[in-house]
Amino acid sequence: MTRRVIFPLILFIVMVLSGVALELLPHQLLMGTYMIVPHWLFVMLIYIAIFYDRNDTYYAVLYALIFGLLFDIVYTGILGVYMFSYGLVIYIVRGLKKMLQGNFYVLLILSAFGIALADISIYTTFTVIGLADMPIEVYLLNRLVPTILLNLLFLVLIYPLIIKPMRKWGRELT
Amino acid sequence: MNFFRSKKLFIILVGFIVLVVLIGYSLNNRGHLNFAEKIVSDAVGWVQNVAQAPVTFVTDIASNISDFKTTYEENQVLREQLSQQKSIAYELQSLEEENEELRSMIDMTETARDYEPIYATVIARSPEQWVNQVTINRGENDGVQENMVVRTAEGMIGKVLHTSRGTSTVQLLTGFDEFNRVSATILRENDSDIFGMIEGFDEETEMLLFRIIEESDSDIEEGDTVYSSELGGEFPAGITIGEVNEVVADQYGLTRIAMIEPAADLFDIRNVIVVNRSIEQPEEIQEEEGDDES
Repeated sequence: MTRRVIFPLILFIVMVLSGVALELLPHQLLMGTYMIVPHWLFVMLIYIAIFYDRNDTYYAVLYALIFGLLFDIVYTGILGVYMFSYGLVIYIVRGLKKMLQGNFYVLLILSAFGIALADISIYTTFTVIGLADMPIEVYLLNRLVPTILLNLLFLVLIYPLIIKPMRKWGRELT
Repeated sequence: MNFFRSKKLFIILVGFIVLVVLIGYSLNNRGHLNFAEKIVSDAVGWVQNVAQAPVTFVTDIASNISDFKTTYEENQVLREQLSQQKSIAYELQSLEEENEELRSMIDMTETARDYEPIYATVIARSPEQWVNQVTINRGENDGVQENMVVRTAEGMIGKVLHTSRGTSTVQLLTGFDEFNRVSATILRENDSDIFGMIEGFDEETEMLLFRIIEESDSDIEEGDTVYSSELGGEFPAGITIGEVNEVVADQYGLTRIAMIEPAADLFDIRNVIVVNRSIEQPEEIQEEEGDDES
């Protein structure tokens, strides 16, 4: 019963913390050419999709939709962008995971792929709306690459903390 | 029919339609949050308030250490400035008294310059940097309303975009565009002030774009200070925005654009002041009149 509560709780806290995440980075990084988006919520969702969900459960996709919408409400004011991007990409990652084993390297590769896909989807939507005005080559270099790298760093940093309980809860699900 | 049998594709298609509807809804309703959005913002804002304290503690320690290194030099500079300030303060005081006297002579009590401050703290910054929003810990309950100017001690940083009961979202100057702009002015003697709009931000040079409306702009100079103007009808006058750095022609060559270096640090924002313009706003009066007629 506790895991019904614990994932939403963790995701909520991660979502709140990503609002102060930029404060933790040196300001020279923010003011400079690079644009870094903390997709911490997405990283947590990938953990859930790979280590918790089984083939017949859709917890990660469900959480992606709910917390993506919350993220939209709290941080961007434009509903649906993160909800759709996170939901769709987590669904794709969940599909890919079936073909691969759930170990660290698979996690790393799937995350890099997922973050890239999610961020490109967000870029596309914002460009269509007219909110983002950035040429694609500038976007790829100044935003996509640093964003992937820093989020992978976050993923690796929390790996030792999260992997054991995550595997345990995953087994309990069966 | 075969197409609709594919359930996954169907769900993704429905999801896409939902996305378009939601985006359309939120773009049309800019400025007003609906009931559910307000509840979510309040709930998250409450947690952010709690979470922000330890984070500030850590970042404060880090910035304190770097501050120590420059303290001595800063002290020297400040001491010099202080001696100049004294004479300016005296001058200001005498001017203020004179102003008040003159104003009482013509029975004018409120001006567009007066405002009531609401002090607030930034509790979150949008992780999505294209949006350029910060969340502050004051909302409707504290008297914050949409479109109020938000400033730091140095100068203007933005305006209130949405409010909920306990928090508000502030659109930073870096996120301004043709739809979100501020009227601004450069003061000149003998009534030839320069007027214009702050209507954008250049990411590369980190300068605000100040489109000059009036064609009496031949004497615009580097180092001129740009202030907010009361002509926009929303903001109080006289809040520092920044300094002119360069004047260029716009893309069509019709008007000129001054590049403004923002006075306030738009990236490191902690404590802010929400400016509540005390003079009555013309729009509100019009609305009231309209209600009476109907």
